[in-house]
Amino acid sequence: MMQTDFPALPLPWPTDDMAQQELAHLGGNPVIGHGFRKTLFPVITKEDVLQMQISILRNHSNSEAQFTEDYRNYVGAKYAIATASGTSALHLALVGAGVTPGDEVIVPCFTFIATAQAIVAAKGIPVFVDIDPVNYCIDVAAVEAAITPRTRAVMPVHVHGLPANMPALRQLCTKHGLLLVEDASHAHSAAIDGTICGALGDAAGQSLMADKNFPVGGEGGIAFFADEAKYKRARAFLEETGIDYSMSGIVAAFGISQLKRLPYYDAIRQRNAAYLTAELAKTGLFTGPEVPATYVHAYNMYRIALHPAAVGLDDLPIHAVKGAVQELLVAEGVPAREWQNKPIPGHLPFQNRQGFGQGYPFTLSQRDFSEYSLDRFPNALKMLASTLTLCRELRSPVETERIQSYALAFHKVAARPDAIRKLATENTYPLPYERDGRLG
Amino acid sequence: MTSGVVMSIEKNDRQLPGLETQIRNKVDRQYVALFNSVTGAIHAALHGQQIGFGSKAVFPRVSQREQKFLTWLGVGIEESTSIPRTYGMASIAWQDAGTTLDAAVAAVSHDKVQVLDFTELGFGPCAAIATNDEQIWKRAERLKIFGAFDLRTMWSQAESEPEIQPTIQFNYRLSPLVAACVRQAIQGNQ
Repeated sequence: MMQTDFPALPLPWPTDDMAQQELAHLGGNPVIGHGFRKTLFPVITKEDVLQMQISILRNHSNSEAQFTEDYRNYVGAKYAIATASGTSALHLALVGAGVTPGDEVIVPCFTFIATAQAIVAAKGIPVFVDIDPVNYCIDVAAVEAAITPRTRAVMPVHVHGLPANMPALRQLCTKHGLLLVEDASHAHSAAIDGTICGALGDAAGQSLMADKNFPVGGEGGIAFFADEAKYKRARAFLEETGIDYSMSGIVAAFGISQLKRLPYYDAIRQRNAAYLTAELAKTGLFTGPEVPATYVHAYNMYRIALHPAAVGLDDLPIHAVKGAVQELLVAEGVPAREWQNKPIPGHLPFQNRQGFGQGYPFTLSQRDFSEYSLDRFPNALKMLASTLTLCRELRSPVETERIQSYALAFHKVAARPDAIRKLATENTYPLPYERDGRLG
Repeated sequence: MTSGVVMSIEKNDRQLPGLETQIRNKVDRQYVALFNSVTGAIHAALHGQQIGFGSKAVFPRVSQREQKFLTWLGVGIEESTSIPRTYGMASIAWQDAGTTLDAAVAAVSHDKVQVLDFTELGFGPCAAIATNDEQIWKRAERLKIFGAFDLRTMWSQAESEPEIQPTIQFNYRLSPLVAACVRQAIQGNQ
């Protein structure tokens, strides 16, 4: 029987009066009813299926080569190597850039665990620093304070798709003779002054996993290099070690056809984000991301800040307000999530530091690893306690009526500080980072 | 063609569990883990047996590629024919009767840990390990970011079994799309 995941029915058209109705948590009708909540992603078209069939008919390395060239050209990077995953792309970017065993690499404490694991894979030492409280990317002043004679590279992450402050980081790296290696895994089509992330650093790694704004067929990644020497160093590393990091042809084929539609998908996301940001600004309780002029945010995820003082809830612990709000939003059909609850240095692989075995490569360092304690990252802890995230909910094929429904749900919850207070005081909400670390 | 065939770490993914079951039935081993390359599977075969940086693996002989990879991992090689080898490896391809899954399974039937390489089928890098030892399987899955262990624990890094806490982790996760192709190929190849 033919399998399909096409929706059975469209989402009912939202109306403004929904925001005035009783909260779903208290027995009212949810803004988005059960059965209408699934966000299908990615969009799969006949072009994708045909492209995959073509890849099976020809040598799979041809599809990989075509994909690499098409996407490298789109990003504007000089050299590229398609890989089996984002983690392997980050690993290759670091090695190609020139990171060698024992080198320190400065990295934000708030990212996906793969960023830091890629540094360990390159046999480097992750030196975690705090994030900027506004853009949630690496804090430039904290980077400068962390530089030592062993520092070889700075590895900013364009968190959720908003580019890190690359002009300031470039200046810093030039001043201290350091490499600048991007983690662009959230930042497909994100840009500063027209230059796309992946082409801003000396090298970059990017995930193309099918959960990203720009997906290949399942798992994949790509490493970018600013010059031939770095590209050749990465190629030589693969030859010397025998590691197979190559991308499957059929996986690449899906990316070839998806790339042609990426500008359309980007436009839908920008439209949805602009609408939601404008609506959240009217609620008082919520605000969307702040995007500097000349920056393009890719909105791989959309992080929402809570402002309890705006609705008279500032006497409560902010994480309890967040917990209550999350519960109320989920009841309305909005999949508001934490996406990460603990800074990466607090995760087991960095607390244990076993690495490749017997503590290697951490044993190459004289650093005091008590610096991996969470209290050194107050901005990240505050952000984790006071924000919520939407993940796929801004992407095509998210319909107009769905993004409007999300906005209505935020209005509905923000209008009920009494219900938020009741939940926040009656329930127990532990601090996010005191729970076990989650990968996503 | 649904999102479940393309998306990774999705609840509706049936391809990875399907391929694991297919291999498990064929190799007559209780535990199978999939990888996006043969080097990933080799790494898991070693890691599963707690052979890492500074340890040694035993083989009667190894290929040049394995030698390079093990050297990069910091794993020494002890050449011996008297001690059981650390793992047995076999490749599956289309060419002839000698490269079927049956032939591969026969070649490694006495090994405690089997590394099966499906890359030559032409859908891209794909490999598996098979074993009867649950601890080896668990550690091998733990080596993968979003391996079975992470997924089962809701991505939590909490650990009730300290001996398999995560160390270094790589994204060795196989694409469901590749798994779907390999499933069809080995069905016809049997």
